[in-house]
Amino acid sequence: MSDLKLRVKDMIIERLKLEGMTPDQIDDGAPLFGDGLGLDSIDALELVLGIEQVFGVKIEDEAAGMKAFKSVQALTDFIAEHAKV
Amino acid sequence: MSEIPAHLPHRYPFLLVDRILEREPGVRVVAEKLVTSGEPYLQGHFQDRPLVPGALLLEMLAQAGGFLEAESLHGSAIFLAGVQDARFRSPAFPGDRLRLEVKAAGAFGGIMKLSGIVSCEGRELCTASLLVKRP
Repeated sequence: MSDLKLRVKDMIIERLKLEGMTPDQIDDGAPLFGDGLGLDSIDALELVLGIEQVFGVKIEDEAAGMKAFKSVQALTDFIAEHAKV
Repeated sequence: MSEIPAHLPHRYPFLLVDRILEREPGVRVVAEKLVTSGEPYLQGHFQDRPLVPGALLLEMLAQAGGFLEAESLHGSAIFLAGVQDARFRSPAFPGDRLRLEVKAAGAFGGIMKLSGIVSCEGRELCTASLLVKRP
């Protein structure tokens, strides 16, 4: 697992208080909302705030969110693309 | 902002904001609520020792939060979707002048996060993060 992907998963677990879940239990390709992790709109806001705080990346609107929240892999790619390192 | 009822749909006995003291649209609101011994909920909470229910302190913060986006809400309500990290440090009593300070902490997909503090004469009574949904 890439270092960034692991950090993304750790952030998701911590921010959404998915207690008892480990990074390797989160499928890279599964959707974050709906059938995958089953997150809701409040979780989406928490993730947006977490991503901004931890990675300094802003998800400006719902269109960007749709793209970024497709899966953990998509979110990792989105952060890698937008992070100012 | 003097026309409170024009900006909130709540009415007596559930209008829990009396005055707006400061307001930066979309950023921060400071409002005020004067607790009187005539408040209906104090009759039974409690008979011997009237104090404002903690849940109503959260409601006061939520109502004050409605003024953050007053321009775009046009008097409609925002709805509580969640409460995080609520702490009730000290009760509010009849006669207290409550300062309700609410700051915008983020928004996405129609949900806003607000961080709120209820204080009285410089003492913090309640702190909480509220998640509210726009209509």
